[in-house]
Amino acid sequence: MKFISSFFDKNYQTPSWLTNKLSKKNLSRRKMLKGTLKSAGGATVVAALPFSAWSTAPLSLPEQLKSDPWLTLDSVLNHLLPTSKTGPGAKEIQATTYLFNLVNLQPTEQDEIDFIYKGVGWLNGYSQSQLQKNFVELAVQDKETLLRGISQSRAGQNWLNTLLGYIIEATLTPPVYGGNANQIGWQWLEHQGGFPLPSEGTRFYEVPNQQSRVAVDTVGKTAKNIDVVNLVASRQLPKNKGKKS
Amino acid sequence: MNYDICIVGSGAGASPVAYSLAKAGAKVLVLEKGPWLTEKEFYKDELAISLRNVYNPKLEDEQHVIEEQYQYDNGETYWQGEATSESGWSFWNGTVVGGSSNFMSGYFHRLKPIDFRLKSTFGVIDGANVEDWPISYHDLEPYYAQVERDVGVSGKTVDHPNQEPRSTDFIYPPLAEHAISSWIDKAAKLIGYHAIPVPRAILSKPAMGRKSCEYSGYCSSYGCASGAKGSGRAALLNHAVAGGNCVIKPQSKVYKIATDSKGKISGILYYDGRGRKQTATAKIYVVACQAIETSRLLLASTGEKFPKGLANNNGQVGKNLVFSAGGTGSGDFNYNELSEQQVNELKQVGPFINRSLQDWYQINDKNFNGANSKGIAKGGTIDFLFHQNPVARAGGSQWGVDENENDQLVWGEQLKQNLKKEFTTYKTLRFEVFNDWLPNDDCFVSLDNDITDKWGDAVAKVRIGYHNHDLKVGEYLSKKAEKLLTAMGAKNVSSSVSGYPPSNLMAGGCRFGDDPKTSVLNKNCQAHEVDNLFITDGSFMPTGGSVPYTFTIYANAFRVADHIKQKLQLS
Repeated sequence: MKFISSFFDKNYQTPSWLTNKLSKKNLSRRKMLKGTLKSAGGATVVAALPFSAWSTAPLSLPEQLKSDPWLTLDSVLNHLLPTSKTGPGAKEIQATTYLFNLVNLQPTEQDEIDFIYKGVGWLNGYSQSQLQKNFVELAVQDKETLLRGISQSRAGQNWLNTLLGYIIEATLTPPVYGGNANQIGWQWLEHQGGFPLPSEGTRFYEVPNQQSRVAVDTVGKTAKNIDVVNLVASRQLPKNKGKKS
Repeated sequence: MNYDICIVGSGAGASPVAYSLAKAGAKVLVLEKGPWLTEKEFYKDELAISLRNVYNPKLEDEQHVIEEQYQYDNGETYWQGEATSESGWSFWNGTVVGGSSNFMSGYFHRLKPIDFRLKSTFGVIDGANVEDWPISYHDLEPYYAQVERDVGVSGKTVDHPNQEPRSTDFIYPPLAEHAISSWIDKAAKLIGYHAIPVPRAILSKPAMGRKSCEYSGYCSSYGCASGAKGSGRAALLNHAVAGGNCVIKPQSKVYKIATDSKGKISGILYYDGRGRKQTATAKIYVVACQAIETSRLLLASTGEKFPKGLANNNGQVGKNLVFSAGGTGSGDFNYNELSEQQVNELKQVGPFINRSLQDWYQINDKNFNGANSKGIAKGGTIDFLFHQNPVARAGGSQWGVDENENDQLVWGEQLKQNLKKEFTTYKTLRFEVFNDWLPNDDCFVSLDNDITDKWGDAVAKVRIGYHNHDLKVGEYLSKKAEKLLTAMGAKNVSSSVSGYPPSNLMAGGCRFGDDPKTSVLNKNCQAHEVDNLFITDGSFMPTGGSVPYTFTIYANAFRVADHIKQKLQLS
């Protein structure tokens, strides 16, 4: 992608990781017969995705919240899902914690993380050009006007939709991922979560032997399986005892 | 290590063979591409199961190419492939020990006698390659009974017009039922339908070292944490391994079945978990990697005697792939139109609906304009279900429309209202229609010339053409289901039938039959061209029936296992 300087840059195109995500959700809308001829054999194999550091999250969220990008992201999330008498907001749900974990713990594509961060720069650039202040310094109504403004651009819409999607995930996924604090999201929406729920050590990216994680320390965790294989393979196999089968 | 049997794959087609043969004293090796997870690694985690799809390969590492039909402006059509890493449309259904059976819903309807002889009953349909099965329901019936016992199926028999013959009754009683089941029964009776209980491959009481269902409300598509769901792993492989005769090697990706100059299998070539090439040998080889991957492996296994792929000298491998035709539909129950008691009943989470309709398993209705002018046709099954995944349910809540009816993002109080309304004012009852996907010349597996997996092997290319007759049947059945929802008082009743295949319901590609020119396997699912090769996943099915496949795959694999035992002279 070319260097993009703002939400309104004409060179912006929806990035492939995002179109991919959207197409997954919209398979039912796919049309069987399409009017356009597609280039033949145009498929390319994408190289293995780079993962963000699994266990080397730099600073804790409270430290990060003192400066950008997390200062602004926190403010945007709190604006998108405000605390009010109608129910908990991003703050109580801990949507920022969820997003922080998404970036630092979940195996999120680097392109997507970069996009989330770039949006912060674009937002503050736009905020400065319009009101000579950073986003976090604005009054609620000015924040609203600014976000409405960027949502008119494709890049702005993609960025906000990404954050809104993660606010929904934060509200409704198991609390171990950082959002839905004490199941506040489920309680608010009267949803009954399942059981057992994952906890630290059994989050989806900690499932042993995941194919995407073969290179990441799985040896200890596969021991139980390897034991069984070795045990059985090395044991004298019993003769057929004439069991009916 | 000298093995009697080497099985490629570990799911519903593989596990009965491993279980039966190991129990009979044979030495069994199971090669599974995915990891070996257990109950301890399965949680009710929407991120794991669907949003991040943890139990399947990344599409950039391993994918398929899906060929769809397109049209030029002048009306001419052509087929064009699209890599699934581009489209995001995964055809993987559980790459772990036990395969997709870990994640099935376990709707265990048997096929019916008529499913074994569609061609002789309903005649030829132009554009479809329908063939009768070389065996009858009678041949498979004892094995359905065995699955009900050994895998564990909970249910009860009721009299209804399309009840298939049964030699035994259910051993495990039905699972606890949701209140809405009685609503369905009442409305069905009112409009002259027969709502029947659905047998489920989920234990209603502890047995065979497994716990019974814990009714978490999250079942379909989730791995089972109690062991109640009858996956091939929990129900069969665990016993096979514990008995000492079965070795499972997870993270073993088979890439070729090697043959010698006489056309005899000389070994199974695979990559182990560290990417090293390994070879396994045995007396008998069994392939059961789910339909698409089984055909892919055979096509990739060329040799001196098999220039077009193993067992493919008649060009039949990969042909006549079938999915499940039909569609889905739903209706909403608005809480403000119901009594407090009804609302409380609806809100119940945990027990199963377990109701289906099979009144139109055979359509005999002169208003039905299918291939037969008298309105006689093979019909299908309608099952009812709730969706539980909350993130999926909330999807789209951030979208509204502006004054010009353009899509517009919403947030703030509007978003909160949308979410609150979505979750607390109504509940949706859904149905799924299952009818035969007619085998046809435009639905098959081949190898892609350009795209390879992460090991460098050609991926499967799948053409997904369907027969229009499938849509007519699907729509006919959907209207019947819609009528029931309306009779129940549901609002926004609608359905959607399309020719798009459900990527989790596949069979065919190596169909069995008596004629080697038109089939890959004989009636024992042994390759016509290779004496010591058996295929025991859904690939063998010439027609798929109008129910989910897993039960029949299990039953047939037990049947083939008996044949292999005889061949090895085991009791």
